[in-house]
Amino acid sequence: MKEYTAKIKVMLSSRPRMLSDVIRNMVTHQPDMEVVGEVIDPIELLIAVKKIPVDVVIITPVASAATPRICSQLLEEHPSLKVMTLPAEGNTAYLYQAGVHRRELDEPSEGVILAAIRSSTP
Amino acid sequence: MSEIIRVFIADDNRLLREGLVSMLSEQEDMSVIGTAPGGDEALRQIKNLRPEVALIDIGMPDKDGIEVTRSLHQEMPEVKVVILGMIDLTEEIMACIEAGAVGYVLKEASFEHLAETIRSVYRGESNISPQMTASLFTRIAELASQRMPKLAESSVKLTGRELEIINLIAEGLSNKEIARRLFIETQTVKNHIHNILDKLQLYNRLEAVQYARERNLLKK
Repeated sequence: MKEYTAKIKVMLSSRPRMLSDVIRNMVTHQPDMEVVGEVIDPIELLIAVKKIPVDVVIITPVASAATPRICSQLLEEHPSLKVMTLPAEGNTAYLYQAGVHRRELDEPSEGVILAAIRSSTP
Repeated sequence: MSEIIRVFIADDNRLLREGLVSMLSEQEDMSVIGTAPGGDEALRQIKNLRPEVALIDIGMPDKDGIEVTRSLHQEMPEVKVVILGMIDLTEEIMACIEAGAVGYVLKEASFEHLAETIRSVYRGESNISPQMTASLFTRIAELASQRMPKLAESSVKLTGRELEIINLIAEGLSNKEIARRLFIETQTVKNHIHNILDKLQLYNRLEAVQYARERNLLKK
């Protein structure tokens, strides 16, 4: 079995809880990924990411107008970070990276999301 | 575990749909036999696959969860429908129950709760998220209280004597004074009042007067 010395560190801020459980389950089943933290409110991410080393942040906004602002702020403060927003309703996900236009993932499957997480990390 | 619960999932959110398939398939007693991203396709597939439990998202774009539930309940009442809802809206829960759903789980609930709900509805029980129980009971109480006065009015018939006594109570007379005025025994007045309160399901003389005043039963 392949050993992953440096797993991709994922932090979650997901609602509703059922979707959060699904994402956590998806990530923890990957040998090269680990969930390093979870916060309920996306605003708490700004603090949490300062405390814990993170490669990818996954946000599932229910209907938060603040989400794009939080993404921008996260990328400003942590340019190497990748931020993915997954839909709680509907089917369009976005991948944000500093200096890059956000990438749209239409009706993303688990496979597409996992590939996007991997491709977005060095 | 000997029995495998055959589950169907209808939800337009692909990630949630696929994720639930993965997680439910890890349960020893469950098997996901099909999924659909919309209500129409769900109905087609469910008729074909005949699952024991169908998880139906309430907010699908083509046909919502309530419509799907109603159709399933009419055509395949043996399929137990559990609605997946986003918000704790009592009217919505009532509509789902009326349509034939036997379970309602908020997506804010945990996966473990969903799995337990599937097991319980499969056993023939009904189940809603614990967070919703209080609001549902409050709504049921409201509906019951709205029905109560109508029931009382339709079934209550006060006699002329009883109305006369309520009017005298409203004038401020005591039982003894009422007895003197009507040339009857005080105990007979008490009996009449007891009957009035019993008929109207009230607790005291003042409530009886209030009841009569609200229905214009008091003499001007």
